[in-house]
Amino acid sequence: MADPAAVTARVTRRFTASAERVFDAWLDPAKAGKFLFATATGQMVRVEIDARVGGMFTFVDRRDGEDVPHTGKYIEIDRPRRLVFSLAVEKYSQDIDRVAIDIVPLDSGCELTLTHEMRPDWSEHRDRIQAGWGEILEGLAITLG
Amino acid sequence: MQSALDHTLTALADPTRRAILQRLSSGEARVTDLAEPFAMSLNAVSKHIRMLERARLVQRRRMGREHFLSFNPKPLDEAAAWIETQRALWTARLDTLEALLQAEDRAAATARRKGGSRRKR
Repeated sequence: MADPAAVTARVTRRFTASAERVFDAWLDPAKAGKFLFATATGQMVRVEIDARVGGMFTFVDRRDGEDVPHTGKYIEIDRPRRLVFSLAVEKYSQDIDRVAIDIVPLDSGCELTLTHEMRPDWSEHRDRIQAGWGEILEGLAITLG
Repeated sequence: MQSALDHTLTALADPTRRAILQRLSSGEARVTDLAEPFAMSLNAVSKHIRMLERARLVQRRRMGREHFLSFNPKPLDEAAAWIETQRALWTARLDTLEALLQAEDRAAATARRKGGSRRKR
């Protein structure tokens, strides 16, 4: 599971397609180029995927005539259950984030949980924080209404 | 260089300070009130409070000799905004993926019908 120490965004979604089809879409340049870092108004001009652990990827989306590269490295590839990669969008931020995708097959289709962790290289914080800081944040937000 | 968010996370990286914040999120309190539930000296608690004040997570109000502390959620906004933005982006991407796969299914079904080799269920 994702380390609860960092600032994380988590999204869960069900798919009617099988776990294998959903998993494969992430590493298939033709499909990934359509959904992964594409924008409605942008144009995906380059997709390179080296689908092995340690392999790199590059997605270049042209937004208002400006090329926005999304780059990263595959950290874990465990078809069809888990995919982990680093992610950097230098145009917008110096940070290197980590994205983990966990897919659970269901009787029909599958359920995908995506965990996007901001700058997981903050081991200093990670070691000291015991409770989830995301949970703390949520807890405080709820208390504050 | 430490960013404001780094200061916030450092302040939050301690269970006592998180407990203090949780207490203050339900209302203002005096330093002595805050020290009560913790098995530590007033001095030790004051140190934690100073760290929270430096991170601007806690504000102090003086009334006579009493010091009242309150929670300031502002520094958490940066992290909360990041989380919300990323959630929205990924939700849209996953929606697109589902639509993409469903379009694939429809195209395959159409191809089967045209081929006429399989009867419609």
